[in-house]
Amino acid sequence: MDASQSSRRQFLKFFGSAAVVGSLAPNELAAKPKTTRLTILHTNDVHSRLDPFPMDGSRNAGRGGIVRRATLIDQIRKEQPNILLFDAGDLFQGTPYFNIYKGEPEILAMNRMGYDASAIGNHDFDGGIDNMVTQFGKARFPFLIANYDFKNTVLDGRTQPWKVFNKDGVRVGVFGLGIQPEDLIPKELYKEMKYLNPIEVGNDMAERLRKEKKCDYVVCLSHLGYQYNDATVSDRVLASRSRNIDLIIGGHTHTFLEAPVSVVSQEGLPVLINQVGFAGIYLGRIDLTFERGRGGMEGARAIEVK
Amino acid sequence: MPTKIRISILLLALVTAACHPGYHLSNRAYNRIQVDSAAAPADSSTARFLAPYRQGLEKTMNEVLVQSTVRLEKARPESALNNLLCDAMLQQTRQRLGQPVDCSHLNYGGVRSGLPQGPIRVGNIFEVMPFDNQITVLTLKGSMLKQLFEHYAGSEANEAALLVGGVRVTIQGKSITTIAFTNGKTFQPEQEYTIAVSDFVANGGGGAFFLKDAVRRQDLNLLLRDAFIDYFRQLGKSGQPITPVTDGRITIQ
Repeated sequence: MDASQSSRRQFLKFFGSAAVVGSLAPNELAAKPKTTRLTILHTNDVHSRLDPFPMDGSRNAGRGGIVRRATLIDQIRKEQPNILLFDAGDLFQGTPYFNIYKGEPEILAMNRMGYDASAIGNHDFDGGIDNMVTQFGKARFPFLIANYDFKNTVLDGRTQPWKVFNKDGVRVGVFGLGIQPEDLIPKELYKEMKYLNPIEVGNDMAERLRKEKKCDYVVCLSHLGYQYNDATVSDRVLASRSRNIDLIIGGHTHTFLEAPVSVVSQEGLPVLINQVGFAGIYLGRIDLTFERGRGGMEGARAIEVK
Repeated sequence: MPTKIRISILLLALVTAACHPGYHLSNRAYNRIQVDSAAAPADSSTARFLAPYRQGLEKTMNEVLVQSTVRLEKARPESALNNLLCDAMLQQTRQRLGQPVDCSHLNYGGVRSGLPQGPIRVGNIFEVMPFDNQITVLTLKGSMLKQLFEHYAGSEANEAALLVGGVRVTIQGKSITTIAFTNGKTFQPEQEYTIAVSDFVANGGGGAFFLKDAVRRQDLNLLLRDAFIDYFRQLGKSGQPITPVTDGRITIQ
């Protein structure tokens, strides 16, 4: 008997006993579907691109902009109720909207579109840490960042390291990672914030989400960047040195990946990395189908990338 | 609700919480959707949300800072615009720091547009400087200052493209033969001087990687664009139009 059969038996045993109890309760378990579809939508490095690129004949003319992204997201929500909508950071800076309004319309637009969480990018510091308090305070979604310690700054307690989302019974654990600020963000903007090793913190977070928080799927919202020529920690480096991470939604390097890239983790399992360029030119969409029960010896997580 | 059923539901909830049966991934698909008019029409409620921000933005961009009697264009080896922008940078840097700064430098490629004859608006400054480059003050030995000027004046891509303020220079081929400070300092290779540059240049963005060995570096957290806007707004306060001219600070030998 292999591990897969064993876990299936345990699952059936559990389900059998639950069904007996369930006969007394009105459809408590029966209402839970055996199969759950979840769609993850994502953007990164939107950089205050609220309007589409101007129609000036340039390569990206007419692309991006919140009015069309809002319609797209609405359309997808109509066909699929289980949506998680994320951004991987650098919401701010890049158009005069930011210079004038300091990030307010960016945040309020994300509220309207129903973003579930965002990472923090280096340019989100551009208005200073006090401005982050002001603007993040307008968000109806959390800013997830596990490796920035904001103790002794005004941002302390206004971000969170992780959040668990329950979508039709599927538990999705999400945490955020930020890039090394030194030589990238002026010190007077990030003040006393401490940067922590993203690989150590990331693995701690992922293990906690997988084991303690019983998450079926673990997502990292990262602003580390897709890859570098040197040893700088990137999403690829993180993935290869990770355990318990299923998906990395990346940003910072403005990388246009045509499809998610798979990197083998420390557990020998594929970690999916995706990034969709910048400026909201693309909306990334990952459709996941989950089936109830453990799919064998981590078999669930070792599925081929389609 | 009968007690028996209520207890059962409670029990069930406990059982479910204790042994989250878990889900496993059985399928995965991916799609990258280009956000454009072919993908989706504009959402009218989002458009209404954005409209007042855009109107405010347009109002800001349309603010007239100063009137110019002439059209201003960047040019090699020298132009009124080249000089004006470097002077603006130097004056604003001194004002922000509250201390003397010897000279300033802008990279030719970083100046993206000219300025119109007539009203110069905030939007025009955004066209001149669309990048969010900040001002950095470097303390350099005279020898490295000369190396910096030679790098920008002499590199093949930027031949004789040298935008400076607070200093008059002579270019001979790929060499700088004289450097004269307008504040009266004399050039000595071993003496230290302060120069305002963009962080792009200070970071080696224009290929001047040797600047990492500057004696000192101070980042101002002042956008070049904001410095220009403030400078032109101050010029406009007199109510008089400006007529910038070249002053021969660049001599080609």
